[in-house]
Amino acid sequence: MNLRHKLILLFIVSGILCIAGIAGSQEQFNLKPGARGKVCLGCHVAFQDKLKSAFVHTPVKIGECTGCHSPHTSSHGKLLAAEPNKICLRCHKTIIPDSAVSSHKVVVEGNCVKCHDPHASANKFNLLKAGNELCFGCHKDMGDKVKSVKFKHNPVDKGCLNCHNPHASTKADFLLNDRVPSLCLGCHKTTNPLFQQKHMNYPVASAKCTTCHNPHGSNKGGILYDDVHPPVAQRMCNQCHEAPDSPNPFATKKPGFELCRGCHSTMINEALSKNKLHWPVLSKRGCLNCHNPHASSQSSLLKEPMVKLCGTCHADTIRRQEQSVTKHPPIQDGDCTVCHQPHASDNSMLFQQPSVINLCGTCHDWQKHSTHPVGEKYPDPRNKNLFVMCLSCHRAHGTPYKTMIPFATITDLCIQCHQQFKR
Amino acid sequence: MKMKYAMKVIVFLTVLLLPFKSFGAENVNLIFVAAVSADDKGNGMRLPEGIACNDKSDVVVADSGNGRLLKYTFKNETLQGGSEIKPAQLSYPVIVQLNSKGEIFALDEKQRRVARLGADGAFEGFVETAGVPAPDTVVPRSFRVDSSDRIYICDIFGARVLIFDPAGKFVRQIPFPDNYGFISDLAVDPRGKIYLLDSVRAMIYTAAADATAFTPITKEMKEYMDFPVSITLDSRGVIYVVDKDGGNMSVIGQDGTFMGHQLQRGWKEGLLYYPSQFCIDDKGYFFIADRNNGRVQIFSMLK
Repeated sequence: MNLRHKLILLFIVSGILCIAGIAGSQEQFNLKPGARGKVCLGCHVAFQDKLKSAFVHTPVKIGECTGCHSPHTSSHGKLLAAEPNKICLRCHKTIIPDSAVSSHKVVVEGNCVKCHDPHASANKFNLLKAGNELCFGCHKDMGDKVKSVKFKHNPVDKGCLNCHNPHASTKADFLLNDRVPSLCLGCHKTTNPLFQQKHMNYPVASAKCTTCHNPHGSNKGGILYDDVHPPVAQRMCNQCHEAPDSPNPFATKKPGFELCRGCHSTMINEALSKNKLHWPVLSKRGCLNCHNPHASSQSSLLKEPMVKLCGTCHADTIRRQEQSVTKHPPIQDGDCTVCHQPHASDNSMLFQQPSVINLCGTCHDWQKHSTHPVGEKYPDPRNKNLFVMCLSCHRAHGTPYKTMIPFATITDLCIQCHQQFKR
Repeated sequence: MKMKYAMKVIVFLTVLLLPFKSFGAENVNLIFVAAVSADDKGNGMRLPEGIACNDKSDVVVADSGNGRLLKYTFKNETLQGGSEIKPAQLSYPVIVQLNSKGEIFALDEKQRRVARLGADGAFEGFVETAGVPAPDTVVPRSFRVDSSDRIYICDIFGARVLIFDPAGKFVRQIPFPDNYGFISDLAVDPRGKIYLLDSVRAMIYTAAADATAFTPITKEMKEYMDFPVSITLDSRGVIYVVDKDGGNMSVIGQDGTFMGHQLQRGWKEGLLYYPSQFCIDDKGYFFIADRNNGRVQIFSMLK
């Protein structure tokens, strides 16, 4: 049985099931012969116009309102026959296949009506809006970027669905219809001499195109990400990689940070002279733990926005900020480096300054919000080996309590040291 | 005949009582014993990150912020002494170990090398990595010395554990497991089984003494731990993990089951604030480098 026969068989079975369902519901509500949707439209007259739309949902078209609604009573809004986020799945059971690699959040949550009109629409598939306009309703930043970039990727303008599946993908992340580079190779022929020349004869047909190219368009030629590593911009691939005709052309000439040290020796040597290291810098992946070596949409070739990037390892710290009642602006603004050195430091916690009081003082004039003494002259009564400082009363990444204090009330905080006031 | 019957009874009782023995870990309960935050001259510790202890009551502290080691004797449930060891070759010690001869080993974070000192604190040299397979560069994030004085280095650059004999000669290597997050520490039990701690995934992997690869013994335990950084086992084989960000200790059974938390975050005695290395002596005392509280704390197990 070939695919065509299978599809025909599936169509027939679906049709039988649909008719059986309708017959079942008719039986359930004991409707008058020929009543069905006509009875409903007797009151819901405004629906008459809706039914004139170019695309009408099949149950609506055949007047099967009871497929989704309960005509008498319901525990759900709009007299729906089931929970709003589950009702579509009664018919569209396989919208997210069991083998899905990635799935669209709104689909998982059953918010089908964010994209589809359940009754009728002027757009194919009952979509609320046509083309990319619908996607950019939620993915606004992407929409703005796509419209503003100088160098556009043609398929994006034609429609997001050229590359993405709106519901789920069984093949790749990001709802992509196929993995990269297979997806890209559907249009781009790597055997083209010009293509090969542009890629310095490296066998990129097996590489991940999106490590250099922004598939949504860019302000750089060749839709490279906006921030391009100079050797890439100058097509000096073999500065870091083996020659294109070597047995392993993508292998780097040196491992880890030692490769980057070739150019960034001042920065790396300075980092290696500090007391405290951010250890991942010297791990096997080295600089690539945080940086994309080719190009990035983030500054300093960071792989992702800083908070997200730091949060890949320090998830607990970022989560604490997210759950904090009072937000600490540097973290909220996504700039961890206001307080921390990303590579190395002579200070505890990789702080930018040896003194926490001075560090906090770069933004906060503490005298204006508190007259509590701080500094080395004032030992912490809880621990004589410490002195009172900002972190004695606040946790910089936040707490569940106001002003980032580590206790539920200010009284609870103060009596930690001022025990004479404890009641 | 009677003997055979008696043997059967013993075997039966052993099987019957086995579950009670394995539940032992659940009963772990640490109680505060003492805190020390200064050397023998009263000079305070600064951000101490490392601590090692042995069955001869020796305790060595890596007083990292002051760039020195401090040597104590644990007696009558208190640390006595606290003499300073500050060789010129040591800049920023963060992890320490003692071998069976009382020699001191210290990982210097600034130099990223493991220094070997005599029991008297005299500098003897660095553990050399000559003979190690490629890559030549070795970046020790942590290390351990086992009961036979073999040295195990957690090399994050080569993504492997390097094993050296007591003289410092390279013996073999075991690669880090696939898909690890970030390996911060390791432990070795008396049978030579290696335990690897993944801080990012909050997981533990093990490799038997003759194994060539690590396998996980736990699932991700991120719901129980924030950022675990140090791992040690007690004499029963129960695994303990110090959570730096969480300011507490997790207890894990030999089979990798999470058994519960001990201790809490805070500044007062008995509480931890960004703790780092810890050790357990043969009598079951826990010695913890309580880094951001600038002290060492001692706990005993409630029996």
